[in-house]
Amino acid sequence: MATVTAPALDLAARFPQAVRPDTRPGYSGWIVEKDHLLEVATALRDEFGYDLLSSVTGVDYYPDTMEVVYHAYKTTGGPGIVFKVQVPRQDPIEVPSVTPIWAGAEFQEREAWDLLGIRFVGHPDLRRILTWEGFAGHPLRKDWKEPFYEEEAKPYKSRWPDGKFFYAEEKNPFKDNLKFPPDFNPEDWTPDKADALLYASLARYLKSDDELKTDRVIINLGPQHPSTHGVFRAVAVLDGETVVALKPVVGYLHRNHEKIGERNTFLQNMPFTDRLDYFNSMSNNWAYALAVEKLMGIQVPERAEYLRVIMAELSRIQNHLILIGMLLNDLGAYFTPSLYAFEERELILDIFEAASGSRMMCNYHRFGGVVRDIPPEALQKLKGLVYDRLPRKVDEFDRLLTENEILVSRLKGVGKLSAEDAIRYSITGPVLRACGVPYDVRRAEPYGIYDRFDFDVAVRYNGDVYDWYLIRLDEIRQSLRILDQAIRQMPEGPVMSTKPQYQVRVPPGEAYGRIEAPKGELGFYVVSNGKPNPWRYHVRAPSFVNITALEKMCVGNKIADFVVILGAIDIVLGELDR
Amino acid sequence: MDYALLIEWTLKSLILLLVLLGGFAYLTLYERKALARIQVRIGPNRAGPWGILQPVADGIKLIFKEEFTPASADKLLFFLAPLITVVPALVIAAVVPWGPPVEIFGRRVTLQVADLNVGVLYVMAIASISVYGIVLAGWASNNKYAMLGGMRSSAQMISYELALGLAFVTAILLADSMQLSEIVAAQRNVWFVVLQPVGAAIFLIATLAEVNRAPFDMPEAEQELTAGYHTEYSGMKFALFFMAEYDKMIVVSALAASLFFGGYWGPGVERFPWLGPVYMAIKVIILLFGMIWVRATLPRIRYDRLMSLGWKVLFPLALAVAFITALGILLEQLWLVPLLSLLAAFLTSLLVTRAIWRKVYA
Amino acid sequence: MLLEYVAIAILIALATFIALAAVLMGELFGPKRRTAVKAEPYESGMRPIGPGTRRMPVRFYLIAMLFILFDIEVVFLLPWAVAFRQLGVFGLVEMLIFIAILLVGYFYAWRKGALEWE
Repeated sequence: MATVTAPALDLAARFPQAVRPDTRPGYSGWIVEKDHLLEVATALRDEFGYDLLSSVTGVDYYPDTMEVVYHAYKTTGGPGIVFKVQVPRQDPIEVPSVTPIWAGAEFQEREAWDLLGIRFVGHPDLRRILTWEGFAGHPLRKDWKEPFYEEEAKPYKSRWPDGKFFYAEEKNPFKDNLKFPPDFNPEDWTPDKADALLYASLARYLKSDDELKTDRVIINLGPQHPSTHGVFRAVAVLDGETVVALKPVVGYLHRNHEKIGERNTFLQNMPFTDRLDYFNSMSNNWAYALAVEKLMGIQVPERAEYLRVIMAELSRIQNHLILIGMLLNDLGAYFTPSLYAFEERELILDIFEAASGSRMMCNYHRFGGVVRDIPPEALQKLKGLVYDRLPRKVDEFDRLLTENEILVSRLKGVGKLSAEDAIRYSITGPVLRACGVPYDVRRAEPYGIYDRFDFDVAVRYNGDVYDWYLIRLDEIRQSLRILDQAIRQMPEGPVMSTKPQYQVRVPPGEAYGRIEAPKGELGFYVVSNGKPNPWRYHVRAPSFVNITALEKMCVGNKIADFVVILGAIDIVLGELDR
Repeated sequence: MDYALLIEWTLKSLILLLVLLGGFAYLTLYERKALARIQVRIGPNRAGPWGILQPVADGIKLIFKEEFTPASADKLLFFLAPLITVVPALVIAAVVPWGPPVEIFGRRVTLQVADLNVGVLYVMAIASISVYGIVLAGWASNNKYAMLGGMRSSAQMISYELALGLAFVTAILLADSMQLSEIVAAQRNVWFVVLQPVGAAIFLIATLAEVNRAPFDMPEAEQELTAGYHTEYSGMKFALFFMAEYDKMIVVSALAASLFFGGYWGPGVERFPWLGPVYMAIKVIILLFGMIWVRATLPRIRYDRLMSLGWKVLFPLALAVAFITALGILLEQLWLVPLLSLLAAFLTSLLVTRAIWRKVYA
Repeated sequence: MLLEYVAIAILIALATFIALAAVLMGELFGPKRRTAVKAEPYESGMRPIGPGTRRMPVRFYLIAMLFILFDIEVVFLLPWAVAFRQLGVFGLVEMLIFIAILLVGYFYAWRKGALEWE
């Protein structure tokens, strides 16, 4: 692939008043003046072609500054751009919202407001998203202390003092372990009150302009619903069976992953990433390892690089198989396809178990390699899978499902999204590619050793759920191609470049590691201040960002299609709610 | 009034009910086992050897569940709805002949509860009543999912009733009678499925919709409506809905067997009339397996497509098939009937496929 | 022949008895722990907005009306089918005319979009 190197982008020269380079050691990118943010952002999108806003998040540089960090990329490929807005750390902390430019920032900005208390001026619907109304303060601020606060960083000294444990309840008696906002009384709180704002925002859809006046109904789908893939909730306005408006409500599984991550040491976060998208712990590990390795500036031995690729692609295959199986379940095919898919998945998990010791929570990667080599028997099994069984099974799925009339008529034309909309909403992964945008991080900005492999970026052009389904089959086939090459080329050698250690030394700085996870672009934004635990640990979860466009996809479709669309976006609540 | 007759009727009714109740219990096990085998699983195998006590365990569990009525529900209708659903499901089977007449203690006994001369009409009438149960369940629950499920269900059932009725007409035309015992008797030499394969196919498809089975299980579409019309029901009331569905499965299979698959006829029935019920049972089990197989294989059709299928495809096709049958009888060229109806079915499927693909690739 | 209906009445009585007994058994043996929250209608765990029973889309009524029209047609077909061999050509032609009239209505409804669920 011939690469055309664009002239070095000098934002400071283009906007001498508004932009200066970020010169802190270990940092890169640009610092944009708050008042010029929209101007610069518009120029970045329209003039420089950074049309995909990958991540928006904030960092609390206690006690002086609050910083909002934007990562934008070109869908045509190449490295991205980082720009930041710094504001004094005094309430109200206000930054202009970039939602008019990149609609995909909507949920991420809500998240930053929720967790860091940054008010985005001009945001259409700035409410808390992950925590609830009765939550006091903004937890990711460094001066926020939980009611059961012990220490700033793990490992806590109080754990196992003299080999004895104690129950947390002894130190934090029940009812004292909660804090509420000052004007909040938990006794008279009802869900109705909490949802009043939400329902009010839907009220304007309740009037029908139809001449035959039928009642439009607000209906809750979830949190306790059999087909929302977890405790996900959507509030829909229905006209008969047609969705007129829809608002996703998330956060039921929220555990403040990022705060816990800041308390953890760098290595403690590795198994913790397993719990994000629990179907693809291998991919999660890799993205996090990439970010920290960038900070540490260490290399990964050859064999480990190949092992990483093998595990990530296996993970992708099993994820897509499950998706196809469960998608059929959402269509009402009673479990047969999904159980067929699970059968293959079990075989892939056998490989994971042999390599890492665990089937789902693999915790396989380390900074500078992987934790241990794959046993020869497992490698033999893997070859059997890749060269014989999986290609056969994928073809079988294709034969059984793709031409099925019911499947086709239920998926074709449903959830249609144009390429422009998909990019605007920061959608990544298979859904973006099915909308006709050949954007794959493995090709756009190759990480690991993906530049060595010969594979195609799967693209489909209709942008409906049928294509979302087809592209998964395509991707499984491409993954098998990569696996084939990786197994053949894998050299012997060590799998760790550094000594195994519990505590790693991470120099100060920032790094954004991103990979093409099966569900989309998975990014970890890690800031270190040289201490044993990260100063900021942010997860750019593909499920979370992709769900931003859910309303756009669902409106005009039937209520039965909502279930299918949600299933086909491929969300995992562990990652969505964090 | 003959007391012996009364006793005979009571006994026959009791036996029929017991068969249906036992059949319901073991149909659930049969379905779970068959589904499991199709899905590379084992299925229930804990309660008793091969899981044969599973239905008993399920039943006992349901008895000890809390009977529960939502505060905002219409109490009376909420209580009546499962009864209105289950009683017709049990009662339809009254006219199904399970075997040829037999001699017991010197009495000639027909193996059906009542041999009505308007048997087919009876079936249609009683089957319609259970729609009320489902609509009332949806209405009385005062729940949006249940309401939507109930309405969907009623619209679906009445839509497919047309095609079902026309499928009945083809069988009546061929047998020249509405009496089920005579319809079966007329198939002594040749089953009606041979003469009218399309009518039989329409009947089977429409009955799938009538009993709300996959791929027409819209009213209880778990994925969007949680459980549809019986969302709010628990304990034995829920069990009654469940029983109604499964008993209806048995009954429509028995009806399909009687109308198109030769009923109790099979080799040796003339000499040993008691073989009749055995053949009937085998046919019912095979037809039930078909329903289970369909459930394990096909995804659900979306609601609007389902209504289109009923109104725009099955209804005109069934009408055409009924007239083709009449024409064949009139010309006394019965071989024309399967030929022309298969042709009509082929043309219809061609048109449907074209319409689907045109809509899909519009 | 009418006597046969007595048998059906017996069957209905027995079936009703069994159904009632089943519900009663559940009432008898099941636990009863009512709470206010439990008595709310189920809507995915959220408190429902507005009543559950309300005006439904007009299409449902349309389908019901069409059903009545065409179901009567089917019911007319039943006795015709029984008597068909006696009626002969006359019966076929007569019925064809009857159906043709109804089919005009059917195609009218189709064209008008009464059968569309979109």
